[in-house]
Amino acid sequence: MMNNCLIVHIPDKLPYDLHHQPTESVFASAINPKHANQIVRRLNQIAPLDDLRHVKRIQKKVLEGGEIQLLVILCLASEGNDQLDSMPPHLQELISSYQLSPFITKVCKYVATSKEEWQEQCKFWPTSYHPRTYNIDGITGFSEEDSQSVLKFMQSAVELAKSNGLLVNAAVIVDPSTEEIISSACDQIYSWNSCIDDSCNGKPESFCSHLNISCRCDPHEPLHSNSSSNRLLKQPCTGAACLYTRQWAEQPRHSHSSYYWHPLRHAAIVAIESSAARDRNLFPSERSNEASYQELDSENASWTSSPAKRQKTVYGNGEDDDKLNACSQPTGQQSARPYLCTGYDIYLVWEPCAMCAMALVHQRIRRIFYTFPNPNAGALGSVHRLQGEKSLNHHYAVFSVLLPEEGLA
Amino acid sequence: MMTSPETLSFMELAIHQARLALDALEVPVGCVIVEDGKVIATGRNRTTETRNATRHAEMEAIDVLLGQWQKNGHSMSEVAEKFSNCSLYVTCEPCIMCASALSILGIKEVFYGCSNDKFGGCGSILSLHSSNTTPVNNEVPSGKNFKCTGGIMASEAVLLFRTFYEQGNPNAPKPHRPLARQT
Repeated sequence: MMNNCLIVHIPDKLPYDLHHQPTESVFASAINPKHANQIVRRLNQIAPLDDLRHVKRIQKKVLEGGEIQLLVILCLASEGNDQLDSMPPHLQELISSYQLSPFITKVCKYVATSKEEWQEQCKFWPTSYHPRTYNIDGITGFSEEDSQSVLKFMQSAVELAKSNGLLVNAAVIVDPSTEEIISSACDQIYSWNSCIDDSCNGKPESFCSHLNISCRCDPHEPLHSNSSSNRLLKQPCTGAACLYTRQWAEQPRHSHSSYYWHPLRHAAIVAIESSAARDRNLFPSERSNEASYQELDSENASWTSSPAKRQKTVYGNGEDDDKLNACSQPTGQQSARPYLCTGYDIYLVWEPCAMCAMALVHQRIRRIFYTFPNPNAGALGSVHRLQGEKSLNHHYAVFSVLLPEEGLA
Repeated sequence: MMTSPETLSFMELAIHQARLALDALEVPVGCVIVEDGKVIATGRNRTTETRNATRHAEMEAIDVLLGQWQKNGHSMSEVAEKFSNCSLYVTCEPCIMCASALSILGIKEVFYGCSNDKFGGCGSILSLHSSNTTPVNNEVPSGKNFKCTGGIMASEAVLLFRTFYEQGNPNAPKPHRPLARQT
């Protein structure tokens, strides 16, 4: 079975062909090592390489016979202009005073995103490379055991969607440390039982079963109602909300009885809502705790510091060790209260749209797994690539999971 | 262009909603939705209360409207038509999630206060208000573009954020939330 399952990390940036990374032309020159400090200092003043910060200004070459040669980048060479007299006057002065002999060479234009890219870059001219500072399990590969677990949860998301003929998206939020399903949901654009929200105070299991019942497809659903299992191969027909985000607007549908429709109740949004409801049910808060446990995220995080750090300061003086232990090592059935979905994974049949992908940033999901790309509106590589937006205050790792065909049949 | 007195008065109401959020120890963002010159829904951030970080002011106001309109018996296509006549006034630039939601609903126009240079979906990080292309043939559009105007009463909106992050809330029940700067 394993041979058929492939988990592929979707990187923050679209990777370039290793051997065809974009380059930039620069003027460089050999310099006398004795003058290196002065020249580099002067160059940083008169010709800083603002857009090429990853490129080393100077490189050392060992020539035949052991002699050391230093080469320095003078400035960018504009496209199609290799004339020295196009250089700014300050540079021309520097060239003549140190009797340099400029030549044109190439450097890599963008910072390397992998060790392999970096090694290729250095064949042109040395660059610096900083491996990602955060590591999320799986980016560097999955163990056999982890792969099985990923496959199992992805299958359960597909099963959920299949109960609707794969016409909807399905989401399963999982705590990988306990392998527990935290919540699961299908798209609820066309049928939403209003009871889901707050009035169901059951345990997580009952949430799941309740959702399973309520996320039925309306029989009048006009989308691809003729799809049958024998057509469901790699890319099934679908009405998944994240793919056809505006389809709702064309429905002449009215609500009836207790069922409502809602154009924004995509599977991921509903699953987040259920996980939040579970959190409130399992960890009902006292008013005072709520006040000290502030969620400082949301719309503007410029001035935040993490709640975890702030909490530590409460027990700073050693006298409260017992209290601290009681908090950090919960006993019995009462497990630690999660901070939103920190540490949790989500399994989606379809790559989420920008709304859902950003919702998952807000809710602090750790990893996203999806099976089918979403060429219409996918925000994790297809149309946008949110995991590569550096300004966001949280970053998850994204993987696509290629399921064996029998998983869909 | 001068901001019209009408625009300012609606933004005042959005700021009032943001103050309500602040009083409830929530990140202070508020909004109102306007149809035919009348406020038909208000919303404020409820992420802390719900432990659901997607419950932004815009989402709250949208849910109010969807509930009302369905109660009044409007069909989906009618609701789509109604959204296309609505304007949103919000104290902070809609985040990527909310901007995408507004585009899915097909709102007519958005006015916002301060920009959101970490999460903004109306120009700061992504431009979801203007990135939808006209679909060819039978393609299904993924959202509608909407007009977007920022910088309306931005300093008032920023002041509320400062109050929230720097001072904590003086009306908070004991124990006070520790000052952000102390840690």
